[in-house]
Amino acid sequence: MRMLVVSLLSWWYGAGWRDQIHLVSERLAKAADRYSISLLLRSLFSPFRQISAGSVSGPLDARMRALFDKLISRFIGAMVRTTIIIVGSVALLLGVIFGALRLIIWPVLPLLPLAGLIMTMSGWIPW
Amino acid sequence: MVDTLFNYRSSRAAEARLSVLLGGWIGRILVLSSVILILAGAALLVIGNPLGWLTASVGVWPLALHIWYRRYLRVLPAASGNSMDARLDTELLGRLAQHVTPKTLAGDLAETRGGQFMTARFGIGPSFVQNLLSDDEAGLDALWKKALELQPSGIVSAATVLSAMTSTQESLKQYLPHLQLDEDDLASGALWYQHLTELIDQHSKPRRTGGIARDWSFGYTPLLSRFGVNVSNQVASGGFFNTTLEAHRSALDFLIQTFSNGGKQNAALVGPLGAGKTTVVAAFAESLLSADSKISSNLKFRQVISLDAGSLISAAAGRGELEHLINELLVEAYRAQNVILCLDDAQLFFEEGVGSVDLSNILLPILQGGGLRMILTMDEQRFLQISSRNPALAAALNRITVGSASQTETIAVLQDQLIVIEFQRKVTYMYQALKEAYRLSERYLYDQAQPGKAMRLLESAAGYAENGLVTSQSVKQAIEQTQGVKVGANTSGDERDKLLNLEQFIHERMINQVRAVSVVSDALRRARGGVRNESKPIGTFLFLGPTGVGKTELAKSLAAVYFGGEDHIIRLDMNEFVSANDVRRLIADGADDPHSLSAQVMKQPFSVILLDELEKAHDTVLTTLLQVLDEGILRDIKGREVSFRDAIFIATSNAGADHIRHHIEAGEELEQFESALTDELISSGQFRPEFLNRFDEIVLFRSLKPEELLQVVDLIIAGINRTLAPQKISIVLDDELKRWLVETGNDPRLGARPMRRIVQRVIENTMAKRMLSGEVQPGQTVQLTRADVPADFQQR
Repeated sequence: MRMLVVSLLSWWYGAGWRDQIHLVSERLAKAADRYSISLLLRSLFSPFRQISAGSVSGPLDARMRALFDKLISRFIGAMVRTTIIIVGSVALLLGVIFGALRLIIWPVLPLLPLAGLIMTMSGWIPW
Repeated sequence: MVDTLFNYRSSRAAEARLSVLLGGWIGRILVLSSVILILAGAALLVIGNPLGWLTASVGVWPLALHIWYRRYLRVLPAASGNSMDARLDTELLGRLAQHVTPKTLAGDLAETRGGQFMTARFGIGPSFVQNLLSDDEAGLDALWKKALELQPSGIVSAATVLSAMTSTQESLKQYLPHLQLDEDDLASGALWYQHLTELIDQHSKPRRTGGIARDWSFGYTPLLSRFGVNVSNQVASGGFFNTTLEAHRSALDFLIQTFSNGGKQNAALVGPLGAGKTTVVAAFAESLLSADSKISSNLKFRQVISLDAGSLISAAAGRGELEHLINELLVEAYRAQNVILCLDDAQLFFEEGVGSVDLSNILLPILQGGGLRMILTMDEQRFLQISSRNPALAAALNRITVGSASQTETIAVLQDQLIVIEFQRKVTYMYQALKEAYRLSERYLYDQAQPGKAMRLLESAAGYAENGLVTSQSVKQAIEQTQGVKVGANTSGDERDKLLNLEQFIHERMINQVRAVSVVSDALRRARGGVRNESKPIGTFLFLGPTGVGKTELAKSLAAVYFGGEDHIIRLDMNEFVSANDVRRLIADGADDPHSLSAQVMKQPFSVILLDELEKAHDTVLTTLLQVLDEGILRDIKGREVSFRDAIFIATSNAGADHIRHHIEAGEELEQFESALTDELISSGQFRPEFLNRFDEIVLFRSLKPEELLQVVDLIIAGINRTLAPQKISIVLDDELKRWLVETGNDPRLGARPMRRIVQRVIENTMAKRMLSGEVQPGQTVQLTRADVPADFQQR
């Protein structure tokens, strides 16, 4: 029994903690992939869905119209991408915060009964 | 020695035992108690009792235990050292008693996933195995050693232990042949289990596929969505293409390399149908979708869209319309900037004909220019045809050959791909079924390559599963139903009776020729009993004798009695094969000549092949047949191997008929001059010795005696009665009339044939007249006597 308790604690503060770090980082990586912020930044001003993309040759008014259309396409693309960048950044930030909390709480968890005992003995009630 | 290989008291063994404990109902109680304690603690705090702090916090400990189990104990990593307690699978290690014996080990194995896998896949029943094993602890030493040898690193699975058990326990080893297995099969099964475990692990890992904005910089493709299939989407929504084959892996690497570098941005996957060209394209699409794969960024997340020639051609009725449509599709793919077009069965885009169209003029500049990435898949033969017709096209393509898979590779691919079919059809495939599918598909399925044809056979075998289990018997049933052959030694009760009494059944249709009937029956029994040489036809016989003595009739009887009807006879009149050019007619492609020997055998491999009047065939034709008689294989005009290994060859010849008659008239028995006659045939140059040598038996037929001809008359009359049966009329002949028919019809040179003609003229004509005149009514039995013979025959 004692061996198992030692085994549990050594895992908890060793491989278990590392495992939690890995889990948190994996979750962040998944979120980063979902929102693909780096890709959005790289293609921020690209025409959205290639609408009105490509070069147009011909009279000046046709080229001007094409340039205008392309500008609109780029503008729409930039708007949509910026929105997702903001949403993604918030989601990532929340992920970092919750992940950090999880990693901080992890080593404290087995000691909670001790804290509970002290709190019980002190008789403190929050309300 | 045992102690060094398995230490019951090691910390890993103790952890494994705890893992088994926590994996059961105790684990569930722990979770429940954790929840109850936390909730109770919270409730106490709400009502103002400080004991709630301790109660709630104590609830954390069972939770911690549960987390420990989920994240560590459930699948313990291997520890250092090369002992079983350091390397054995957690599930099994946790179940082992301190004094483990082969018998208790077998019981423990039955409770693990690995053991259950082996039970289901190989049919090794755990209780039966336990009965075979001893309670002697000493036997385990060799078993552990073997297991560690089979799995030199990492975790030793329960499947590996079971495989080691069959290798080291003599009683179990002897049991394997009953299951059509050997030790190597079990070792391969252990690897299969390990591979599946790895695949499941791999599949459960999160996949990074580029995120929601992945395709926003690329164009919409409405037309391509309508006329094509997005392979990438299919793969992303659940497909998983593991490239087990070396050929597939190298083809995949070549594809990635081709599209990563500059130069011609196309690849032609060339190989036979079923070799896995489409699988390579799917695996390629999958590797492009993975953010983790090490491919160039200009290739990452590109979409592979496969164009279907059939739907394109049907959508555009006129030629101009089709070219216009293809142009629009190509422009759309180019503008989208993330499309790799795949032309499946690309030959349909480069040739004129029904269901195909020649678009070389449109596609060639694109292939040469490299502006649009394209993958083409096509059959090897068609690629050669296109190359010879349009060398510029062949030069513009980067050719990648995808060849047929070997047995080991095919089994490995089947093991991977069957997971999907098992899920869809709710069946489990046994290992023996996989091996049988390879063997039988190699032998009977010609239009596809491996692993495609073995997979096709296994898919159809799912329909013959017994209690959800696809066995080798299911595969045999599938091939028997789809190809019309009889395979294996297992026979039903009816068939067994028929085989054991084959001579009797045949003699219901033909008289005497006992030896001929006997050798043919023996050959068939050997085949169905599973004791024949599988790399030769069922039997090859040369029937020699005068005409009209039953040579052809025996072949017909055999087809009717055993092969399912006289239409199961493939008859070649060899007097139609008198020139060297006639070889082409033997081996012609079924599409050009459905009556060629190769085409007929492809359609109906389980047949009687009758080569009538063999001596009249040209030497070149006989030489072609030599290989068939010897190996049971003939290559058709397209180079495909056609198997004749489920056919019986019966060649008939009148050569030596006069000699036989002279010998018989001299009072000799057939067996006495059999070899002398063979020598005569060789010395007279009628047959070459190497040709005669290829036959299993050369059987002599003698002329029928008058008393035997009387029995032939009975058979002919029985045949007429069968014809009249629907009209409820039958005829009976008196003995005098029968004798007259024999005397009138018998001609020693022409055998029983003239007699059949006489019967036809006398009996059938008489009956026809009586029936038309109303003299004979339905339900009547007509007695015919000598007096009923028409006057013009009486004087004969």
